[in-house]
Amino acid sequence: MNRRLSNVRTRQRSGFEYAVNALDTATPYGRKKAGEMKPFFPGEEEELRDELDTLERMVEFKRDYVAQSAELALIFMDMRECTGTVASSKTRTLSTVELYEMKCMLIKIEQITKLFDKTEAPIPDRFIPVSVSRLLDRLDPRQDRMATFYIYEEFSEKLATLREEKRKAELELRKGMKAGKEALKKEKGIVLTPKFDCRISRSDEEQLEKLMAAEELEIAEQDNMWVTFVLKQTEEDAARQEEIEKISLEIEDEEEKVRERLSGEIWKNSKILFENCERIGELDLTLAKADFAIKHRCVKPVIIEEHRLVIKEGRQMEAEESVTGKGGSYMPVSVELYQGVTCITGANMGGKTISLKMIAQTALLAQYGFFVPCREAEIGLSAYMQMLVGDSQSVERGLSSFGSEMEELKEIFDHCRERSVILVDEIASGTNPAEGAALTKSIIDFLKDKPYITVFTTHFDVPDKDIQKLRAVGLENADFGKIGEEIRYANRKERINIIGKYMDYRLIPAGDGGIPKDALNIASMLGIDKEVIEKAKVYLKGEDA
Amino acid sequence: MGLLNELKEKYRTVSIVGMAKNAGKTTALNFLIEEAMDEGMRLGITSTGRDGETTDLVTGTEKPRVYLDEDTLVSVPTELYDLSDAGLEILKMTEYRTSIGRLLLCRVAQSGYVQVAGPVATSQQKTLCSEMLDMGAEMVIIDGAIDRKAIAAPDASDAIIISTGAVISRNMNKVVEETAHMVNLYGLELLEEGTAKDLIEKYASRDKVMFINDGQADFPEILGGLGNSRIMDQAVADGADHIYIPGAFTAGMLHEINPSNLKKVTFVLKDPTRIFVNRGDWARFLKKGMRVKVMENIKVAAVTVNPQAPAGYRFDPEELRDLMQKALPDIPVTDVRI
Repeated sequence: MNRRLSNVRTRQRSGFEYAVNALDTATPYGRKKAGEMKPFFPGEEEELRDELDTLERMVEFKRDYVAQSAELALIFMDMRECTGTVASSKTRTLSTVELYEMKCMLIKIEQITKLFDKTEAPIPDRFIPVSVSRLLDRLDPRQDRMATFYIYEEFSEKLATLREEKRKAELELRKGMKAGKEALKKEKGIVLTPKFDCRISRSDEEQLEKLMAAEELEIAEQDNMWVTFVLKQTEEDAARQEEIEKISLEIEDEEEKVRERLSGEIWKNSKILFENCERIGELDLTLAKADFAIKHRCVKPVIIEEHRLVIKEGRQMEAEESVTGKGGSYMPVSVELYQGVTCITGANMGGKTISLKMIAQTALLAQYGFFVPCREAEIGLSAYMQMLVGDSQSVERGLSSFGSEMEELKEIFDHCRERSVILVDEIASGTNPAEGAALTKSIIDFLKDKPYITVFTTHFDVPDKDIQKLRAVGLENADFGKIGEEIRYANRKERINIIGKYMDYRLIPAGDGGIPKDALNIASMLGIDKEVIEKAKVYLKGEDA
Repeated sequence: MGLLNELKEKYRTVSIVGMAKNAGKTTALNFLIEEAMDEGMRLGITSTGRDGETTDLVTGTEKPRVYLDEDTLVSVPTELYDLSDAGLEILKMTEYRTSIGRLLLCRVAQSGYVQVAGPVATSQQKTLCSEMLDMGAEMVIIDGAIDRKAIAAPDASDAIIISTGAVISRNMNKVVEETAHMVNLYGLELLEEGTAKDLIEKYASRDKVMFINDGQADFPEILGGLGNSRIMDQAVADGADHIYIPGAFTAGMLHEINPSNLKKVTFVLKDPTRIFVNRGDWARFLKKGMRVKVMENIKVAAVTVNPQAPAGYRFDPEELRDLMQKALPDIPVTDVRI
């Protein structure tokens, strides 16, 4: 069975993608999990309820455990992907930089484990990483839990001894050479750099001769312009130098051994480490969902067995953000949908399309285990969802709006199965009204007995029989005198906003009043010539008569 | 009393800039490091990032390979970490990327040679320096641009050390004059508070030439090339009191302006590195009444001189140092080889 809940267009147009992109995961593990999110399907109600219960506990954690949640955010910060390094530890010795990164990650894991050890936080065990303290001890021989790394002397006694030997030998060598440098300056007036060398131009014959003559110096490098002299090592110094080089090699060997040992330890613990990365990913993602729920005032949807969608005071998040962003207040919309066809009619600019998007967004979010932006919601799981909303993309493809609608309608018919949700916005409005109305009615007839929840928005008059009819309230209760007053001095953009302000987006049972006729009112308010409006009214009367 | 002591009283970050290649920049850096070792002073060492120099970085011809004492803080890219001769404790992996890996902030655990690299962006350089200071460096030294043409803007540092020397000219007086010219340019007067400054700050992000005439800003259509100067001449004739030039400031521009109008206007530059007017022209225009001010200038903390030129000639070290000191009475001058 093709387990696809919806197509990309539906997820984008409904605003679901917008919500997913707003998820603020903090770690690479959380981001990975967010990319792999899967919806729950009919039959998985119990699993989804568990998931939502978990999310509820995370919301509690965010609200009631502010300090811990802030600490966790701090731990998540700068967390790096380390699964690649862990995998590499199987086949090769890790570099010091990689070991450093592993140590930083282990410290973070330990901090998370400890944080929840001392907190009675409502975090499910499956989100809490397994303790890695023993492995961390191996990488942190000083047990100071600092996020720094070096092949410390504590890793190997031999290493400590070697380094001490090297240090002493270097000091001796330097002392010897410094004495030589000082003597040279004092006795012959020859000044060497801190690196015990001296570069001289061939053209400076006098100086060159002087340096050539100094038996304390030897030529290190020369070309046709320059001669570089260095302090000649005494036999003692040369012996020390050789000693230092020998120790250095031994140190490198020993460091390699330490790294090899540590890499082995990491591979031995790889199963736990991979598991922990999964857990941290889940924790991060679920916390991001909780954050999202709090920020957007979302509630836990009630998951029901029947195929029904009940949304009280639902908000389409993109629209809400755009309205509140302009300082307006968003009007939520409630709706109850059952299998069969629901028709939404209402004024232009009455919010019908936004309501459709809101329904799709809410249902999709719920099935992906999110809380939903409304006051209350009862969601029956769907097997398939598709929304058909006209947009400019298909026009760019060279299809007429009608053509692309029909293409998508076919897709809907091909994919629908039991428990589908079909949302269709003003289909066939771009063709001649006689055929458009006929087609709309026949599609409704075709769908009304199917086991789908179907919602249409339309301006066509459709029969009342066997379908639920809703109507956007629109400007029905608005004071036109007041609107006219306000609009008189407004510019184009303000006019739209003023109409928006008086518009009632709520959906009510349509009753028998036929389809509302607000189009002329709105056209007039938007400044269309009076002559045109009056003439339209005349035509309208003639038609009615 | 060494140079370092003098510096540490006044500055927390200092970058070393060469007047030209072979002016002794690396020698100056080594000298300061050596001084710090003798004084037991804890340094932070970083470098001005130069992207696209991978081969040079690996062979070490551009990046300084310096001997660092235990406890020095240093920035090293991940790919050079394993090549380092010193023992380096990784303190932090920074967000700054270079062509040879992310930069690591390290503490020298065992002294030895280290190849230093730094971030490319000035803002990152600033952050890195303050991190080093927070981690206990008493002073941070940035191995700065190789020659003055490479300085794009005032560095992230509090002040710069200019390394100059015989490489500039066979004539010692000329070396001194050129260096003094540069130091003087760097110290150019800042534009005073007022309407002109407010306007420039307001519109600086446009990155456009701006004429200010009695508190009014105008942005001429600049076509590029010498035509610009004629527009400028016209603007000055029309009474502009300030001309802000965000890009290069050249002698060509000045030549086009009617000499009698020159003293009526103040040229304002982003910073002194935008000036491409040679010493002779500069002096001539100053005599004619040219006024140039900058939005940001550069503090010169010290000058180091190298009496030896790669072309072979050599000045008397003490004579060079004394002559330079006389030309720059307010700035310490050192020959790091003496």
